Amino acid sequence: MSAAVIPLQKAGGKPEPLIAFRRVDLDLGGRPILRGIDLEIARGEFVCVVGPSGCGKTTLLRLLGGLLAPTGGEVSYAGGPVAGPSANVAIVFQDYGKALLPWRNVAGNVSLALEAAGVPRGEREARIAPLLRKVGLDAHAERFPGQLSGGMQQRVQIARCLAQEPTLLLMDEPFGALDAMTRQALQDEVLRIVQASRMTVLFVTHDLEEAIYLGDRVIALRPHPGRVAATFEVDLARPREQLATREAPQFLRLRRALYDFIESAER
Amino acid sequence: MRLSARLGLGLASVLLCAAIVGGWHLATRFGLVSRAFLPSPERTWLALWRGLTEGDLRRQVLATVERMLLGWVLASLVGIVLGSLIGSSRRARAWIGPSLEFLRPLPASALIPIGIAFFGLSQSMVLAVICFGTLWPMLLATIQGFAALDPQLRDVGRMLGFGRLDTVWKFALPNALPDILAGMRLGLTVALILSVVGEMLAGQQGLGLSILLAARAFRSPDLFAGVILLGAIGYATNLVLAQVELRVLRWRS
Ligand SMILES: Nc1ncnc2c1ncn2[C@@H]1O[C@H](COP(=O)(O)OP(=O)(O)OP(=O)(O)O)[C@@H](O)[C@H]1O
Ligand SMILES: [Mg+2]
Repeated sequence: MSAAVIPLQKAGGKPEPLIAFRRVDLDLGGRPILRGIDLEIARGEFVCVVGPSGCGKTTLLRLLGGLLAPTGGEVSYAGGPVAGPSANVAIVFQDYGKALLPWRNVAGNVSLALEAAGVPRGEREARIAPLLRKVGLDAHAERFPGQLSGGMQQRVQIARCLAQEPTLLLMDEPFGALDAMTRQALQDEVLRIVQASRMTVLFVTHDLEEAIYLGDRVIALRPHPGRVAATFEVDLARPREQLATREAPQFLRLRRALYDFIESAER
Repeated sequence: MRLSARLGLGLASVLLCAAIVGGWHLATRFGLVSRAFLPSPERTWLALWRGLTEGDLRRQVLATVERMLLGWVLASLVGIVLGSLIGSSRRARAWIGPSLEFLRPLPASALIPIGIAFFGLSQSMVLAVICFGTLWPMLLATIQGFAALDPQLRDVGRMLGFGRLDTVWKFALPNALPDILAGMRLGLTVALILSVVGEMLAGQQGLGLSILLAARAFRSPDLFAGVILLGAIGYATNLVLAQVELRVLRWRS
């Protein structure tokens, strides 16, 4: 983790977490979806969330994004309760096909975030170009989403989120629908970008290895209703490398522990 | 391959047109149909040419096209604005939807007597009927287009902090545009039909009236010339709109 991030100090001397879930319950349509979520995430941390389909991972993200309000308990961000969507929080949505405006080209889709932030028209282009370069799309600025591969569309979404210059980046199974090669390339890209901009990241995934590879911490959820089942600290050095990291003994040990846990949780 | 296929199809349609005119020619030549009802293509062409160059056919065409476009533009504006308002609110849709569904299937020509009752046999009656009849495809298409905005795109807008107006302008309206353009194309056809019927019923200047008068006087070449012009108007306007659609919806290809 980047050592340059200086956590805010509370009066007690303990660093204040950027995000805190305190005994959070959520019901949707009269059904309990999440129960008793207690969770803290420090500034600059990269936290991964895993769990079976339908256990409430997306719902957790939506609570943080301010798209949903908890039924009980409190979700707080930087010390205050989350009251609604904020410009400091960006979401990379699970379904990239439906998260881009099909009638805007790549540059136009990234521009959307700048328009929302009130960046004057004349300055937008100068800010879009480096973002597209960062995600490797500079050659495709004029293309429409319908003309892009899934991986490229997901890159557009990431670029749009970066244009927001968020403090907190929420990613909802962003690479779930991509092939293995594209997925690994994007994993490394995200790690590089996050490292450089010192964002805090909450990353939802189905893929246990992806969670270990990316995260400082992996949180496993248990379904019906969704609860935090276990937390795994990931003590792997950064920067991480696809081959070396995945062959490291700690990686293999963590992978074993996580698989065992998920298996026992499902029984 | 694709070019040759398109050329082939183009050639085939020209041939079909030629065949129709040829059949028409033969039918009149050998007296299969009385000349009083079916003029020869040559006489029709002559009537068309004379009417456009010497007679007042050009004025009639202009009158009808003007009426049609005016009614269509008014209906488009009202339809899109009203449709945006209704379509962007779920409550408004639930509230107004059933009434719309009741009014929608009414044939526009059935409204003409009501229009006459309100406006008399006048210019404004015809325009009101055109507007009202043309409104529906646009209104329903806009409502549909607004309602069909993907919830996830809505969330993208919320996360970025867009207000109501920006959401309409940047999300809902472009999302509805394909539906709106399709509605506008359909509406233009309806507007042409209603212009002609309205002119016939209210005795207003235009192609509709000149066709009616030609029929009453058994001037069948003039009658056919008018019908051909109507077809040409429909064809040309549709072509223009199709081009506009192609350009505006470039992202779809
Ligand atoms: N709007 C809603 N109303 C009622 N129930 C909902 C709603 N949205 C989600 N749910 C329910 O909440 C539960 C958790 O959904 P959520 O989308 O958070 O799961 P998830 O862990 O993200 O699943 P996946 O891995 O498949 O994306 C599911 O059982 C789902 O059926
Ligand atoms: Mg999900």
